[in-house]
Amino acid sequence: MSLPLSFFYYIYLIFVAVFLFYTFSNVYHLIRFGGKTLSVLVVSSFYIVVSIVMLGIAWRYIGQINWQQSLEIIPAFKL
Amino acid sequence: MRFNLPLPHPEKNEKIIILIRRHWFIILVKILFWALAALMPLLFFFLAQDLFAAIFTNETMYPIFVLFVSIYYLYMWLFTFTSFVDYYLDVWIVTNKKIINIEQKGLFRREVSEQKLFRIQDVTSELKGFFSTVINYGTVYVQTAGTEQRFVFKQVARPQRVAGIIVKIVEQEKNYQKLLEKSDQIKTK
Repeated sequence: MSLPLSFFYYIYLIFVAVFLFYTFSNVYHLIRFGGKTLSVLVVSSFYIVVSIVMLGIAWRYIGQINWQQSLEIIPAFKL
Repeated sequence: MRFNLPLPHPEKNEKIIILIRRHWFIILVKILFWALAALMPLLFFFLAQDLFAAIFTNETMYPIFVLFVSIYYLYMWLFTFTSFVDYYLDVWIVTNKKIINIEQKGLFRREVSEQKLFRIQDVTSELKGFFSTVINYGTVYVQTAGTEQRFVFKQVARPQRVAGIIVKIVEQEKNYQKLLEKSDQIKTK
């Protein structure tokens, strides 16, 4: 039995979507309730920039992978 | 000092006197924890280099490994930021009219409670534990009139000084209230 490798890629995309949702919520809360101060602006910007860099690095590696492959979960036996 | 934080229900001529957050040591410990958690895979990599070499050369394991590492570091970063947001949004404000307790409990729960200064009866500070005593952070308990729940300023820097300032402001406010009552009595006579 084999599982397409793209299955893991879609799970990864769900995790990234959750990450983006919480990122948006955090930044929104910080700006709305934390006051419009320089420290809030600097911390939010730093967080967003580092997040983009991390996603960019991940994308570089992920883009080089062939997702058409399959992963053998239960090896097939030849009779 | 000017504070750029909007008050929840500002009154006329209300000014922020002190704005308190938890001691910086509290957020430092949390950030160090997540930094350590981020370093763990690197430590594991150096300890089990043969295993990782096998993963890197395996065509099907390598993609899963890349996805896992990406998710792991994205979430370590997210948890670090969430810790900071939680730290930054928990605020205790003492104005010339009242004390305000703002607590961010998770992302979608925010509690704001207020109490008029003249209703405050007792202020207590507490230093408990090794780090608390050495670094000088602790808890300030503000007891209001009656059986109402007391305000708790958690893990704030220099709790004795904070308690002293609150006591002083409360006394000033109570004296002001007494003067107002006297002037009202004179007017009614």
